[in-house]
Amino acid sequence: MRRLFDYYLTNMRISIQEQFQYRASNYFFMIGMIAEPVIYLVVWTTLAENQGGVIGGYTAGSIAAYYIVWTLVRNMNLGQSPFGWERRIQHGRLGMELMRPLHPVHGDISFFAGWKMVMILMWLPLAAALVLIFKPTLNPTWLQIVVFAIAIWGAYLIRALSLALLGMISFWTTRVSAIYNLFFALELILSGRLVPMTFMPLWVQKAAYFFPFQSSFYFPINALVGQPTPIELFSGLLFQLFWIAGGVLLLNVVWHFGIRRFSSVGN
Amino acid sequence: MRTIKLIWNYLRIGIANQLQYRVNFFTQLLTSFISLGTGLIGLALVFNYTTSLGGWTQPELLTIMGVYTLMGGVIQAVIQPNMERLLQDVEEGTLDFALTKPVDGQVIVSIRELSFWQLEDVIVGLVVIGISLGQMHTQLGLLPALAFVGALLMGGVMIYCFWMAVTTSAFWLIRIDEVFNLFQGLYAAGRWPVSIYPTWLRVGLTFLVPVAFAVTIPAEALTARLTPWTLAGEAALTVVFLVLTRVIWRVGIRHYSGASA
Amino acid sequence: MSAIISVDKLSKHYKVPVREAGLKASFKSLFKRQVNIVKAVDEISFSIEPGEVVGFLGPNGAGKTTTLKMLSGLLYPTSGAVSVLDYEPSKRKAVFLQQITLVMGNRSQLSWDLPALDSFELQRAIYQIPADQFKKTRDEFIELLELQDKIKKPVRNLSLGERMKVEFVAALLHRPKVLFLDEPTIGLDVTMQRRIRFFISEYNHRFGATVLLTSHYMADVEALCKRVIVIHNGKLLFDGQLSALVDQFSAFKTIHVTTSGFASWSQYGQVLDQDAGHVSLRVPREKTAEITSRILNEQAVEDLTVDAPPIEDVIDKVFSQKKAEDKAA
Repeated sequence: MRRLFDYYLTNMRISIQEQFQYRASNYFFMIGMIAEPVIYLVVWTTLAENQGGVIGGYTAGSIAAYYIVWTLVRNMNLGQSPFGWERRIQHGRLGMELMRPLHPVHGDISFFAGWKMVMILMWLPLAAALVLIFKPTLNPTWLQIVVFAIAIWGAYLIRALSLALLGMISFWTTRVSAIYNLFFALELILSGRLVPMTFMPLWVQKAAYFFPFQSSFYFPINALVGQPTPIELFSGLLFQLFWIAGGVLLLNVVWHFGIRRFSSVGN
Repeated sequence: MRTIKLIWNYLRIGIANQLQYRVNFFTQLLTSFISLGTGLIGLALVFNYTTSLGGWTQPELLTIMGVYTLMGGVIQAVIQPNMERLLQDVEEGTLDFALTKPVDGQVIVSIRELSFWQLEDVIVGLVVIGISLGQMHTQLGLLPALAFVGALLMGGVMIYCFWMAVTTSAFWLIRIDEVFNLFQGLYAAGRWPVSIYPTWLRVGLTFLVPVAFAVTIPAEALTARLTPWTLAGEAALTVVFLVLTRVIWRVGIRHYSGASA
Repeated sequence: MSAIISVDKLSKHYKVPVREAGLKASFKSLFKRQVNIVKAVDEISFSIEPGEVVGFLGPNGAGKTTTLKMLSGLLYPTSGAVSVLDYEPSKRKAVFLQQITLVMGNRSQLSWDLPALDSFELQRAIYQIPADQFKKTRDEFIELLELQDKIKKPVRNLSLGERMKVEFVAALLHRPKVLFLDEPTIGLDVTMQRRIRFFISEYNHRFGATVLLTSHYMADVEALCKRVIVIHNGKLLFDGQLSALVDQFSAFKTIHVTTSGFASWSQYGQVLDQDAGHVSLRVPREKTAEITSRILNEQAVEDLTVDAPPIEDVIDKVFSQKKAEDKAA
């Protein structure tokens, strides 16, 4: 356990150093990523203003806040791409990583966690610029801020586990891009990435509870931007814990069977 | 002339080779439908709250989505594969081969790759355009149709210029894989008419990343908004973009070859 | 006859950023960049006649590949003059590029997903090779390299050796007059290396092409090149016949004796190796004949051979000598 902790710290530190080197790369990435929510922001604030100020419980100002916080949460949601897993498994790189005494998932999670820290730092000036341009309204309580700070890391873990699980599908088939695209499309709609969940018809909102998507996206954003009650905040965190625990369990099971298959098929 | 024959050869061989992977026809179709689906859901959500956005009615917004999909297909089939290969060549040192050929380097790196099945999006886009025009009961005359084609071509060329210029920056920055993400993000702005964006963004989407020319302007041609002046202006701008891109390439090559600036 | 390649005081300098490991240094490098100037190529001069096959020898990082890149127009020289086929390579005129070719052992110019035959077609289009000449050349090369059933498979499905063969065909379809080969046999097995060498030599004889070849493998150089140019730390150390290199830099020869007698062999020279019935001695080159006749007269010899030291040893010696000289200076 101590060794695991040490590994995480070391890997995170190396990741931070590396990401400092690729500053231009990181900025390109973040600016590109900001384009998406800015588009949504513009469309929906335009609509809100035309509709007399409120859509789905959000004012133009809080819509702006939603999508600006979105940029941070979106970044927290990024992890080892399932396509990266496909490359590992299909091109035999996994063999090398299996020789190490540590599960490759730990490497991924710690590496990206370090990256997140650099990214949060780099995000701050971008967020400041967005705030100046779009003038959001944001009045969170202290509780909201604390829960938000915890929730974004919970969100990262949930998504990292989901991506790893997706990636492991490559153990069984090569034709994965269609499956991944389907997953991402579902996620786009059910996570709160496209629009805040309250914009969706009621049945969609209810259905979303069966998926982990909104736990890693809508929940943290709304925790900061909306007016959730303390109960809602804590139950949201509990939900995150639930999805993380489930993810870890499922990961172990799928990995067990996946490795069996990998070793028998050979690559 | 020689370049045209070369393009023809690359096309012929590329298509022949990719045609044999028939499964990709279906996987691409699935991907196209998923994209279309999410786009339509986005539109539907907006339609819930309004019948027009930025002066564009519902069917007209559908037209924009059709042009967006069409142009997206062209970009992913013809432009993106070449830019990705150029980037890879710079990182792995295989660009040297393209530069020791008796054909201009920029030409070679711009025409050699093709992702054939992505062209399905062109068909899907045309279908969506057709449906939207049907909803508006528009009879498309010859002149608007020609203007549409012309606008598409020029828009495509300008998108090429933008990508080419940015990918050339790899000569200086080396690791710019993320620039493709940047572009995907900015291109997504083309789903909506650029008139809805704040002025500064609209200017950026017109003159910097020519998304407006790629999507909104051809859609304007179809919805009787396009003036000959805009088209002429676009033609002039296309020439400017081409010249700029050429200059950037030349400078990039000089840097790559270690010529003193 | 005028030289087909001539290089005069050619230099290439690089500015290389320098950074130490660690978090603090990463931060520092954000504000201040430290730069070293590396002289990859330092005022080298030589000239090559048409039809010559010249080997470039040198340790990694010596400047061989950099020189090759300047000759093929890929790099601008920092200073000095270079002329190939009477053109300035860095101007990259189409006429010039039409007559040269570049083959890099560890990189491929072929499309991975296309069968080699298609890549040949593309070369034909790029170099505007007339159809009948193209067919003839292509079929000739395919036959020479025994590639008949390999050319229809996608290149990624070929083995390393097969890929290299196909790479050569593609590179030479347009019958270039000057060949720049950078480590062409790297990673190949012995048989394949021989095949490639044979092909290069055939091409050189058939078409009178000039070949510049860099390699780590002495066997490449021994088999193909009468003339070698030795580069070390960007400087030209030696330019001349391979045999002369051996003579100049190796002061010793090795005598192998097969004998049934017992003797104190150290009286003849330095004993390198000794076991029942065999002895290997190292003797100064100029004394070889003398010592050999002494051994033959004084010992019961069943067999005796005289070897030049392996060329690797010679080259090794050249470089360690140079290193020592540099250190002392």
